[in-house]
Amino acid sequence: MNPVSRRAFLKSSVAVTAATTFPRTRLSAAGQEPDGVPPAAPQTTISLRVNSERHTLEVEDRWTLVELLRDHLQLTGTKVGCDRGECGACTVHLDGMPVYSCSQLAVWADGREVTTVEGLADGVHLDPLQQAFIDGDGPQCGFCTSGQLMSAKAVVMTNPNPTEDEVRQGMAGNICRCSNYNRYVAAVMSRPPQQASRLDPLATVGVSHPRIDARERVTGLAQYTGDVAVPDMLYARVIRSPHPHARITRIDTTHALEMPGVHVVLTRQQCDVTWSSGDSHNPRYLFNNPVRFVGDPVAAVAAIDRHTAEAALKVIDVDYEPLDFVLDHEEALLSGIVEVQPGGNLSPRRDGERLPEIYQRGDLDVGFAASDVIVEETYVSKHHNNAQMEPRSAVAQWTGDQLTLWSPTQGISNTRRDMARDLDIPPERVRVICQYMGGGFGNKNQNQDSDLIAAVLAREAGRPVKLELTRKEDFLGVHGRWPTTQHYKIGASRDGTLQALQLRGYSGMGPHRKSSGGIAGIELFRCPNVRREVSPVYTNMTVAANFRGPAYPQGVWGIESVMDQLAHELAIDPLDFHLHNLTREYNDETPYTSWSLRECITEGADRFDWANRWRQPNGRTDRVARGVGMAIGMFAARLGRSSAVLRLEQNHLWLHIGVTDIGTATKTAMAQIAAEAMDMNLTDVTVVWGDTDQCPYSVGESGSRTTTHTGHAIIQAAEDLKRQIAALNGALGDRPLIAQATPEPTIEGMARYASAAHFVEIEVDTELGGIAVMQYLAMHESGRIINPLTAESQIKGGVTMGIGMALHEELVYDRATGVPVNPGYYGAKVMTHLDAPEIEVHFIEPIDTFGPYSAKNVGEPPVIPVVAAIGNAVFNATGRRIKELPMTRTRVVEALA
Amino acid sequence: MRRLTNVNPASLVESVERLTADGTRAAVVGGGTDLLGMIKDDLVPTEVLVNLKGLTERGSLDLVETEPVGIRIGGLVTLAQLSTHPLVTAQYRGLAEAAGSAATPQIRNVGTVAGNICQRPWCWYFRQNFPCYKHGGNRCFSRVGENEFNAIFGGGPSYIVHPSDTAPALITLGANFRIVGPSGERVISASDFFTLPRTDVSRENILEPNEVLANIYVPSTPGLRSTYAKVLDREAWTHAVTSVALALEMDGNVVSRASIVLGGVAPIPWPLKAVEELLAGQRITESLAAEAGRLAVDGAQPLSKNGYKVTLTENLVRNTLQSLANEV
Repeated sequence: MNPVSRRAFLKSSVAVTAATTFPRTRLSAAGQEPDGVPPAAPQTTISLRVNSERHTLEVEDRWTLVELLRDHLQLTGTKVGCDRGECGACTVHLDGMPVYSCSQLAVWADGREVTTVEGLADGVHLDPLQQAFIDGDGPQCGFCTSGQLMSAKAVVMTNPNPTEDEVRQGMAGNICRCSNYNRYVAAVMSRPPQQASRLDPLATVGVSHPRIDARERVTGLAQYTGDVAVPDMLYARVIRSPHPHARITRIDTTHALEMPGVHVVLTRQQCDVTWSSGDSHNPRYLFNNPVRFVGDPVAAVAAIDRHTAEAALKVIDVDYEPLDFVLDHEEALLSGIVEVQPGGNLSPRRDGERLPEIYQRGDLDVGFAASDVIVEETYVSKHHNNAQMEPRSAVAQWTGDQLTLWSPTQGISNTRRDMARDLDIPPERVRVICQYMGGGFGNKNQNQDSDLIAAVLAREAGRPVKLELTRKEDFLGVHGRWPTTQHYKIGASRDGTLQALQLRGYSGMGPHRKSSGGIAGIELFRCPNVRREVSPVYTNMTVAANFRGPAYPQGVWGIESVMDQLAHELAIDPLDFHLHNLTREYNDETPYTSWSLRECITEGADRFDWANRWRQPNGRTDRVARGVGMAIGMFAARLGRSSAVLRLEQNHLWLHIGVTDIGTATKTAMAQIAAEAMDMNLTDVTVVWGDTDQCPYSVGESGSRTTTHTGHAIIQAAEDLKRQIAALNGALGDRPLIAQATPEPTIEGMARYASAAHFVEIEVDTELGGIAVMQYLAMHESGRIINPLTAESQIKGGVTMGIGMALHEELVYDRATGVPVNPGYYGAKVMTHLDAPEIEVHFIEPIDTFGPYSAKNVGEPPVIPVVAAIGNAVFNATGRRIKELPMTRTRVVEALA
Repeated sequence: MRRLTNVNPASLVESVERLTADGTRAAVVGGGTDLLGMIKDDLVPTEVLVNLKGLTERGSLDLVETEPVGIRIGGLVTLAQLSTHPLVTAQYRGLAEAAGSAATPQIRNVGTVAGNICQRPWCWYFRQNFPCYKHGGNRCFSRVGENEFNAIFGGGPSYIVHPSDTAPALITLGANFRIVGPSGERVISASDFFTLPRTDVSRENILEPNEVLANIYVPSTPGLRSTYAKVLDREAWTHAVTSVALALEMDGNVVSRASIVLGGVAPIPWPLKAVEELLAGQRITESLAAEAGRLAVDGAQPLSKNGYKVTLTENLVRNTLQSLANEV
């Protein structure tokens, strides 16, 4: 096709497209693919050895080393987490030394020796470190594991007997957002894990077992979405708004469409698909006008390769008419402030009323009148990114009207439902596959806009499309924890009894309401007079929604700080104050199925030696001030619907469950439950997971629900299967049997919660403003622990994540422009090996008759008490309380001034 | 990524020729980590990479060698090599500590000392491509913005801080830089290498785009002890909130000459001449160290959110001075 006619064709296509909406139009007519190939970029022939194999290759000079490895040598064990040398997921050895392969060009590796994770094992014989990572439960989600292994390998290659500090220093450039730092270091040190159930273990349940898929996670064989490649696949990129609030007055895609290799350009004009799970209250299109936050998608491109897609973005002209914007959630409710969404900035309640969410009991006036001491304080928490290691990505492939979507989701069933709804096609035409995924912590519960953008581009292009978000896009475009302002007024009588408890809180949701915006925690206390009023507010910050323990870590920080202050003013040990004011009923009303919070506190205090370590703060100004703190937390262990299918053939059990395993060892726990229920060995169970065409409904790995929901289904299906076997009276033979169950257990009139009490000792460097965690003890009750090894890893990780929230992590906004200034691992100061202290974990295991083998939940509870415990320890050490997060050196110095 | 052309010149002379020919399109590559990140983020216009790692005639560029009076460090020596090289750790501990404290093992394995010295700012606004002075604009967003990590000394019109760890250490050690350019080579004192924004807001040092920082000479000084102390906001892979490089020539327990330079607080490594004068000829007592700390922050001009840096710097200078002086 000559350039002139091609241009003419594309121009007319644009004209047609502009007048219509998706899905009716296509930019290219059948048989007239704009299949131009971009002119060759500068290339060089290089020779290098990769995992001992010699390659002589023609590479583009601009290819990074990781791009060569992943895209062109199909060595996808090396991951890209940030593409900026900030996270370490791409670590490989170059001439025996660990380097970030995202930050080296392939051409610079000419003549050199590259070793990747695929080169560690000697055939089927794993490297001892790989085996240690399996046995010691190194990988959670596994996305950082290849990089961790390569750095660990470099440490032991130069020093076969390193100290623990040398290991941590050597791995300091490898971030693990599951925060399994303790496990990684212990594995390198060959220190075996110790955790065991304190209940008598059953045959399989309650026994520590390495993840059944650990081998895949330590060898680079585990396939994540970004590793998926299908024939004829195009690469997509997205333009995002640089403005916090603006009307788009013009988008000119002409130059992009003229670029050879560009197949599709989509904007709001061609695409009116809504992302329904992106906002429960307002229409949220894939591409919005006006744009309402920095990072709001404006247009997307699909092109023949990633470089062409990126180049096309740069020639799309967008004219913005900037609008007033508001970042602060309290300011957003003042009169005269710009409306982020039509109708006002207070997000409406479920009933449509524009009123705060209110809970109350008793009479505050009565309560305050009965109080001898009243504390009034305000706490401010910040937007805190989930920062999961795997950026959002998707591969979408249409076969006729059937969509196959590879997505790093926390719930394949949810995603299928959402995709079908948003694309207006029946659910049976959507297949969602997620074999392995690199974490989410709540930001991949439903379908993601990246899933939809890839699907729509692929349908337009008539070719499969891969979309991988950049780390910066992931920080801006994916939600984080909602920032809050919490005004408390709490009163108690002289004997330490709570009389009145008032919270007026505000949550900044960004411009879309994806999640509740709640501020939780006051329900943990007994008090006759309570009023909680929380306003979820629209702002022009990036969207906020679920992040591990969604409403709790920030709320518990607030309420537990105020409780600690109240205890202080009453001259009562905070431990005693807690024990005096705990409630055995949720919200003082609803009884728990089992309740171990008191036991968590008392046993934790004994183990920590609280009685001998806690002293009234004396406001001393030693150079290094030591202090201890404690805080509590609970999280719902809900029951509900999920399915399981068991297939018994030739004495082997296939367990079909729609889970994805986001790093929580769900597959392993479910296999253990199945083995237990069927009286089989774990090795006789194969899990079939992560594919909606092969697996029944599962609730999804969110809300810490899978073990209870899907675990119940497995047990019930197993009972059916055992009945079928029994009915055959020993004549089973080779007969295949199938059983399935979809129970929906409920607990009428009761609440079911996991609980935790945390104890911490910190040091405050009063001269340099640093806070160091010296000892951390996490006491948890999560029902019976199915797999003590992996459960402890999750607790350690959750606590470490909470330390980051307490001490340094925050997405910072420039107030004048509304632009975030630190989106990424470097700027947002995500926890590293050197920031992670050893976390001591203990479980109390009660018999709770409602869960599968009494199991509750593990994933979300550990992050909940952390910020509060550290804040209270800072107060104990210094006599000063830091009321705005994170507790950086600036704030420590200010507090001590 | 944009189209890039990698060039492996045979020699330094050829590198300079190529840099001269391609002007602002070209950039010299040592380790390349930061340059690639800046290219990906469109912070620099680079299209031609003059890759010194590809030099066939490297000469002394990647060596640490003894000189008649001191050592000569090649610009391509990596931070990892520098932090562990016996010639460096034996005599110039402050330099070894500075090099070993930068970034992460992966970056230190490729990052060069010349690259560390010539590093561009890590100011959030610069890195997010705000149209600031450093990007040819006409304002400094940090002056009234999120300036928690910005300058308390020497700011205006730009308030970046110099991110290098090795530069403050090298200045305290009296290092000289050998620079190779189109008209030959020149040697300049490390303390004269850096440029304040009020002199030229577009650059951080005197290096021309077609010049290469080839070697570093560090004199040897009998009785010298040195150290580098750094305060971070997380424990790995971030730049100094404040840092201090300190070198003391001791005569018994009396300081015959002190050299002290701050990092992370000014657009250039920030020398503390007044403190050096205060310390000369003195025995370091607790009260003298305290006086030195106070003097160190004399004249600091904190912005709206970085007043804490004044406190931290005062305390860091005092403590570092005391601990180095008290070493046996």
